[in-house]
Amino acid sequence: MVENDEFGGRLKVLGWFCVLVIAVLIGRAGYLQIYQGEYYSELAEGNRIRIIPSMAPRGTFYDCNGELLVQNRPGFTVSLLPLTAPISDDVIQRLSELIKVPVEDIKKKIAMHSGFDPIRIKADVTPDIVTIIEEQKENYPGVVIEVLPIRDYMNKQEAAHTYGYVSEINDMELEKMKDDGYKTGDIIGKFGLEKVYDKELRGVNGGQQVEVDVSGRPVEILGKKDPIPGDDLYLTIDKNLQAAAEKAVDDQLKAINAHAAAAVALNPQTGEILAIVSRPAFDPNLFAHGISTKDWNALNNNPYHPMDNKAISGEYPPGSTFKIVTGTAALTEGVVSPEELINDTGRHWIIPKGNSEGEALGLINFRQAMAHSDNVYFYEMGNRLGIDRLEKYARMFGLGKKTGIDLPYEASGLVANRRYKELNFEDGEWYLSETFDAAIGQGFNLVTPLQAAMVMGEIAADGKCYRPHVVKRIVGPDGTVVKDFQPELLANLDVDPNVIRLVQDGLHDVTKYGTAASAFRGFTIDIAGKTGTAENSHGRDHGWFVAYGPFDNPNIVVAVIVEQGGFGAQSAVPIGRKILEAAFGINQQKAAQQQNP
Amino acid sequence: MDLSLLLATVGIVLMSLVIIGSATHINTPSDDRYWFVARQGIFALVNVGFAAFLLNFDYKLLQGYGNKLYVFNLIMLLAVMFVGQSALGAQRWISIGPISIQPSEFSKIIMIISLATMLEDRVGKLNTLHDLLPVAAYVGLPFLLVMKQPDLGTSLVFMAIFFGMVFACGINLKILGGIFATGIAMMPILWHVLKDYQKMRIMVFMDPNVDPLGSGYHIIQSKIAIGSGLLFGKGLFEGTQSQLNFLPENHTDFIFAVVGEELGFIGVTFLLLLYLVVLWRGVCIARDASDMFGRLLAVGITSMLAFHVLVNVGMTLGIMPVTGIPLPLMSYGVSSLTTNILSITILMNIQLRKQKLLF
Repeated sequence: MVENDEFGGRLKVLGWFCVLVIAVLIGRAGYLQIYQGEYYSELAEGNRIRIIPSMAPRGTFYDCNGELLVQNRPGFTVSLLPLTAPISDDVIQRLSELIKVPVEDIKKKIAMHSGFDPIRIKADVTPDIVTIIEEQKENYPGVVIEVLPIRDYMNKQEAAHTYGYVSEINDMELEKMKDDGYKTGDIIGKFGLEKVYDKELRGVNGGQQVEVDVSGRPVEILGKKDPIPGDDLYLTIDKNLQAAAEKAVDDQLKAINAHAAAAVALNPQTGEILAIVSRPAFDPNLFAHGISTKDWNALNNNPYHPMDNKAISGEYPPGSTFKIVTGTAALTEGVVSPEELINDTGRHWIIPKGNSEGEALGLINFRQAMAHSDNVYFYEMGNRLGIDRLEKYARMFGLGKKTGIDLPYEASGLVANRRYKELNFEDGEWYLSETFDAAIGQGFNLVTPLQAAMVMGEIAADGKCYRPHVVKRIVGPDGTVVKDFQPELLANLDVDPNVIRLVQDGLHDVTKYGTAASAFRGFTIDIAGKTGTAENSHGRDHGWFVAYGPFDNPNIVVAVIVEQGGFGAQSAVPIGRKILEAAFGINQQKAAQQQNP
Repeated sequence: MDLSLLLATVGIVLMSLVIIGSATHINTPSDDRYWFVARQGIFALVNVGFAAFLLNFDYKLLQGYGNKLYVFNLIMLLAVMFVGQSALGAQRWISIGPISIQPSEFSKIIMIISLATMLEDRVGKLNTLHDLLPVAAYVGLPFLLVMKQPDLGTSLVFMAIFFGMVFACGINLKILGGIFATGIAMMPILWHVLKDYQKMRIMVFMDPNVDPLGSGYHIIQSKIAIGSGLLFGKGLFEGTQSQLNFLPENHTDFIFAVVGEELGFIGVTFLLLLYLVVLWRGVCIARDASDMFGRLLAVGITSMLAFHVLVNVGMTLGIMPVTGIPLPLMSYGVSSLTTNILSITILMNIQLRKQKLLF
């Protein structure tokens, strides 16, 4: 049959076609599984394995008595987790309206993000936002709520400049610090102790390696690395004294209608800082949430710069507090004897400069001059010493350079000297009147409140200068002491102990019958002090007060400045007295009664 | 009895049960963990029993029903359009009691029977376009109904059956070539006939990364599953792609990817060789059949199976576009399983009654 042969031929073709089909399929499978197998294996791993980071709790702060100052609390964070599809514009728009974050900001964060972990959009949202997102899940696909530790500054703006604040790392910081393992989205210390000790505080983030299914739901934990909490800081700060100092400053600012001030209290025998106040201040909790533009502008536009720690970065003419330096120099250099009487006729005889109120004290010796802060006497000391020796002693006291405190943005201050004038003024010649100004702490001299406290502290500690520090101990999460900060002797004044004794006596007289006597009437503990009034070309003078006590065995030095507060005796001394009262436990009952009438 | 065909079929069905079990293992609540396997297994057994019963009847009896079946087929396909239930945008299902059947599956085998009836006395007489027209119209009507559902996959199977059978009938190769040439020339026009999702499938077939989270997702995930299976596979129940649901439809249209992932190149090769046995036997049975009707039946069935294997496996391997064509005897689905076992039964029936060799 011809047609059967024909049929058989066509069947053969069909048969071989089937063989060809199977051969092609096997070949293709072999290509995918053998030749490209490694490639697809890696893709399969990437599909199913996710790293879910877990943030290490940041180290906490304690005061010198072990009282908790800064902690972490759990907070709700709104994050995006695009699993199978990118987050749609509708959802971004809706979320933007809900949490009040601009759409561009959200999109920028999405664009910046890489990896499979959630993209954090807004930290520490309120429970009602959490409720809305949880209840209307279908309106917010890909939006998740995470519970993450939020920094909690329990005492609000108290000691804010010391503690500092944390917030998300920015591009510039990331560029600088990425070699140290910092990543996009990291929360880092930006100011204060948070910044200085960031490496110790941040701990080591952990994470889980999990197998997930197609919807990103974890199916099995493959590996786990627990986060290691950061080290805790035990501070030299005394919370009670800090609170009292803050209150003293606030009350006084209100009373005299001034806006800015700073105060430092430290132990002159160790360099331990007991309290630091800077006004105006800010609430560091604002940054932990991610600060709003409104709050940020309010801080930035405040003419009194709430973000500056004036206690260490504010530079002011030292005013009469500088007479401690001038007096020490004069006695040590022997340009005057303690007994020599200088005649204050109200004006110096070479250059007609006098006391601020124009009063004339007549014939006075060193102690009287110190107690009454007599300008004419110290002009004469400047005249006899000359600017170079004044500069030498100022530098010996540590002025003109940073004290080395463990806080950021410390200023160096300035010691009046010839070279500075030469470099910075067209008329670089040094004039005697400038020496006069320098001798009483005006003119070019600039100090920070901390430096002023350090100068007083060196007198109090018989010439010893200890490095000021805020952290006493760093303690690891397991309780072991990582680092213990012992007092570090920086320098010893190269001065006869008798000279220091004479200066001490003069300062003691200040509170006995001198410029601060009325303020310290009835004070049960012997105090040495010095008032000052720093001329301010921009407005009212700044008021200064530095003091230490108890006089015989000092354990606290206080330095206070009230910006545009006028005379130190009226503006700064009351604050200093209250801080000392708190430190020595004097009048506390009365203060408590005032608080709760 | 065709032992190699029987063994290959049983082998594929057993493999199917194991792989369906694995593919649906994690994605089902534990109470129903073996629901799919059990259901598929029970229907396989019922079908085999039914097939054994059907072997008692001569397949030639079907010849008398050819035209009636054809009409029944049209009615059934029309019924789908009016009372059918939608699945994934296409009306393909009819519920009869607890069972949802997919008429288009059955319509394939019915198409083969009626076409074989029609072509029997046209063998060797398809020399002109005029000769071919009635045949084309005969297939064209149900083809259009399936196309309308829309079920592009099944309509393509109709074309495969048609071409396989008219080719065996000795169609003039010039005409065949002419049809293909015209078909290719018409492609741009056909493009407009396609639904958007069908166009997308074709585009994604050209480059899956056009839409990696949408239409291209199946292909990408399927290739990852198969590729990562390597030589020996990850082991049953160990396929991360299928067990973690990255691979959709893993017990139905994409079951071959599970084989590739869990049993590796060795498992894939073994399964494809089983299919080759089935197809090769189909061609042999066609060759040895005692009459032209039997031959055409066998050719139609073989063409259908070959096309299914090529398109389904090719799809999972990324060399064919995504169409909803199941893998015969492997994919979960009662209608498809029944149709395919019925088809194999018909092949065996033909083989049982083959022409006696004369010595």
